Amino acid sequence: MKTPDIFGYSFSAIKLRKLRAGLTMLGVIIGIAAIVALLSITQGLQASITDQLNQGLSANSLIIMPGGDTSGQEGLSINVGSGADSSGFNLYLSDTAEIENLSPDIDSALAIIQRSGYVASGNINRRVTIYGVDFATYAQVYSTFSAVTGTIPTNPQENTIILGSRIADPGRNGTQIITIGDNMNVLWLNATTRPPMNETYAAQVSGVLGTVGGFGIGGPSDTGVYIPLSTAESFFGTDTCDMIIVTLTNSDKATVDSVTNLIQEHFAGQVAVISPDALQSVLESIFSTIQLFLGGIAAISLLVAGVGIMNIMIVSLIERTREIGILKALGMKNRTVLAIFLGESVIIGLMGALIGIIGGWVLANVTATVLASGIFGGGNFALTPVLTPTVFLGALGFGVGVSVIFALYPAWRASKLKPVDALRYA
Amino acid sequence: MSTIIEAIDLKKTYMLGKIPVEALRGVNLKVDTGDFISILGPSGSGKSTMLNLLGALDKPTSGTLLIDGVDISKLGDNQLSELRLKIGFVFQFFNLIPRLTAKANVELAMSIANMNRTEHNKRTLELLETVGLKDRINHKPAELSGGQQQRVAIARALANNPKFLLLDEPTGNVDSKTAKEVMTLIHTLNKENGVSIIMVTHDQKLANEARRTVQMFDGEIQSDTVN
Ligand SMILES: Nc1ncnc2c1ncn2[C@@H]1O[C@H](COP(=O)(O)OP(=O)(O)O)[C@@H](O)[C@H]1O
Ligand SMILES: [Mg+2]
Repeated sequence: MKTPDIFGYSFSAIKLRKLRAGLTMLGVIIGIAAIVALLSITQGLQASITDQLNQGLSANSLIIMPGGDTSGQEGLSINVGSGADSSGFNLYLSDTAEIENLSPDIDSALAIIQRSGYVASGNINRRVTIYGVDFATYAQVYSTFSAVTGTIPTNPQENTIILGSRIADPGRNGTQIITIGDNMNVLWLNATTRPPMNETYAAQVSGVLGTVGGFGIGGPSDTGVYIPLSTAESFFGTDTCDMIIVTLTNSDKATVDSVTNLIQEHFAGQVAVISPDALQSVLESIFSTIQLFLGGIAAISLLVAGVGIMNIMIVSLIERTREIGILKALGMKNRTVLAIFLGESVIIGLMGALIGIIGGWVLANVTATVLASGIFGGGNFALTPVLTPTVFLGALGFGVGVSVIFALYPAWRASKLKPVDALRYA
Repeated sequence: MSTIIEAIDLKKTYMLGKIPVEALRGVNLKVDTGDFISILGPSGSGKSTMLNLLGALDKPTSGTLLIDGVDISKLGDNQLSELRLKIGFVFQFFNLIPRLTAKANVELAMSIANMNRTEHNKRTLELLETVGLKDRINHKPAELSGGQQQRVAIARALANNPKFLLLDEPTGNVDSKTAKEVMTLIHTLNKENGVSIIMVTHDQKLANEARRTVQMFDGEIQSDTVN
């Protein structure tokens, strides 16, 4: 029997039991839709994080943080607000000068002091991360450190403060509740004294940053406030810093690697040196784990669908015993009977997978729209789902594959039916 | 005249659990091309068992059965299927695929035999005209009477120009008037188209219309007479 005839015959069997075929297909549709939605969202998320990372940290930068990690890739430990890791190792503000002398490939080194604290002005009082940075250098390293309202002075006053976008506009609706020139109290809880006490000073708002987005290491944050490094030094009473950003003259891998080694040597392996490249590969490995996990869960639902297909095919095989007997009496070969039953599963798998892919894609886009609308908080989460050809073809193949594999046994049983036995059944 | 079927000491034993049921106990039969044989006998005498063997739907337990010169005991599943393409089979009832129209049922036999697609249409119409159902080609079995269904089954059995036609109580399920129509068709096919026919029946009158009547009893042939 010719292939189109086989498929035509399979199709006529499916058409007869539309509801049953539809319900069987539904299992495949749901499984495939889940896989496609989850993968296209995570891939979109990865793309958007990578994108923000690239925006937030240029390829010729390195981040140094306390934390003895020779590889500088795995197990990043980020000790926000302490300036020291558990071993008691500290990065000092004075280290920047030493780092700048390590290699001619190093353009500049920028220290960042980072503490949790509060800002208060009028009836506003909110928790923020306070960053002490050199405004001019910081703006050079991070293009996102630029004001949409007000200015970021190159030589700031001691009490100058720059606000992240959500500090000035907590409702994220374009209404800034703070105007340039306003005074606000900056406050932190000093736990080095006994008893711990609140330290505070009055700062004057000079600029508000544009919206940055949710991610980025060391870079400007929507919920951060920025004060001059020297102010932070005296306000927090410290000569250590939490992070040093090194800018290189170029982003060649060789340069990045050699400078990374020089820095590790200099600090005797007690720092973590993070390059955008390394971050990228950490991200990739995190995301491939997430994808494997989510995809795996969705794949299980598809296996459940497969068991459903098998169940239905066995029922259908029993119902159609006499039909199989007739086909065999007409001279149909065993392998053609097999092909007819497998053909039904291919049609169900193919249609289910295609509808599932479309459904999953729609679902991913709806999810992205909902996330972007900010209903669930978490900042403006610009996320464009990505459906790669690999995912598309993989989902298609998986849907058809699962259907066919679970149909193999019933189809095989149908093909092996003895004609006389099949014909006795009425 | 050449021999198309030759059965020598044919035996068929079914196992009902551990109890052997001897459905055929040594049958000898020779059928020539163009013949019209009726097999008569009470229920359970082994008529269907015999016909199933002649139709290569089953293999004998012992003995030799040559169909078109081939010993079917030696054939595998695939070769048996190919042999069945040369045999037209009509059962007592439920011959047709319920979801397919009369035309599609006939065409199905042709596509199983890989007959050239361009011939399907013309030949199907000819066959349905031969059995007098030209105006029912797009009807599904449920929309046809019992006699009409049997005639579609006969048209389908003829689709691949079989060497012979096997009919297992083709009129067992229809009223006497329809039975007559079907019998007339069978006679016409035999006389005018030269189709060899072996027909099982338990109706003495219909059996006598054949050229030769084989009487079966308890798995054996009791008599084999030319009418
Ligand atoms: N598949 C089978 N398994 C067991 N016994 C069978 C089977 N087919 C037929 N028989 C038995 O073989 C005998 C002959 O049956 P059958 O050829 O159908 O008779 P008939 O068609 O003449 O009524 C009966 O006793 C029947 O019960
Ligand atoms: Mg019978």
